[in-house]
Amino acid sequence: MIVLVTGGSGCGKSTWAEKLIQTLPEEKRVYVATMQVYDRESELRVERHRKQRADKGFRTVECEKDLAGAPIEDGSTVLLEDLVNLTANEMFDGGDPERIAPALRMLAARSRHLVMVTNDLFSDGAEYSPSVQEYLRCLAEINRQAAEMADCVAEVVYSIPVSLKGELPCV
Amino acid sequence: MKLYIGGAYQGQDELARQENPDVQIFERFHETIREAVLKKGEEALAFAEQFCREHPEAVVVSDEVGSGVVPMAAEDRTFREAVGRVLCVIARNAEQVSRCICGIGVRIK
Repeated sequence: MIVLVTGGSGCGKSTWAEKLIQTLPEEKRVYVATMQVYDRESELRVERHRKQRADKGFRTVECEKDLAGAPIEDGSTVLLEDLVNLTANEMFDGGDPERIAPALRMLAARSRHLVMVTNDLFSDGAEYSPSVQEYLRCLAEINRQAAEMADCVAEVVYSIPVSLKGELPCV
Repeated sequence: MKLYIGGAYQGQDELARQENPDVQIFERFHETIREAVLKKGEEALAFAEQFCREHPEAVVVSDEVGSGVVPMAAEDRTFREAVGRVLCVIARNAEQVSRCICGIGVRIK
């Protein structure tokens, strides 16, 4: 099963994604962490997410860039969090965002289950600098490719999952 | 009338073209609204009513622009508000409204 989880900031995407993973087999459960830790705020965020998934049987793989190179065993049940950070890291930290979609396809093919988390940050109507505008365009394209390969796309609205594609798994 | 909306780059334009081949499509309508309201000084509701009268069969595509922090610049606030007001009128007149997220269209009317 391939699932894409989207929604606004702080609306419970991770919580729902983690609950979903818990309904899946426990062996080879991998959490792919993409956030760069560079200040106190991100440290606290990582801490909160770690506590949230403690005792849920995850092995954590740090992957700020180059998803294809991340050490993830075939047949794993993968929670990838998230496409927003991964895209930002590839774009603004000397990587290549073009390699994300192929890496996702490969990961999807090799995983037993793959749950990808992204964020819906496209509806504020603001005009950003060209580089941020390009980042948004690029992330939107990656989201669309991820949605296309997913069996189910869920938008989480303040903890309530709404199906955009496919049947919502029972969580 | 048909309305296709979504956040920036969510695929609403492709969806509109797919579902309405060989039809003239009013794309990037939020920019048309910006032009009318900010540049020509038209009033949002009057602009919307007139557009619906003149183009009762229009296929309209627009970005959703209203889900951020209230912008600092008055012009941006006027734009955002105008897009909301105009699209409400168009949605009321439309027999179909679809909303795109991650390239997936969800028909909401």
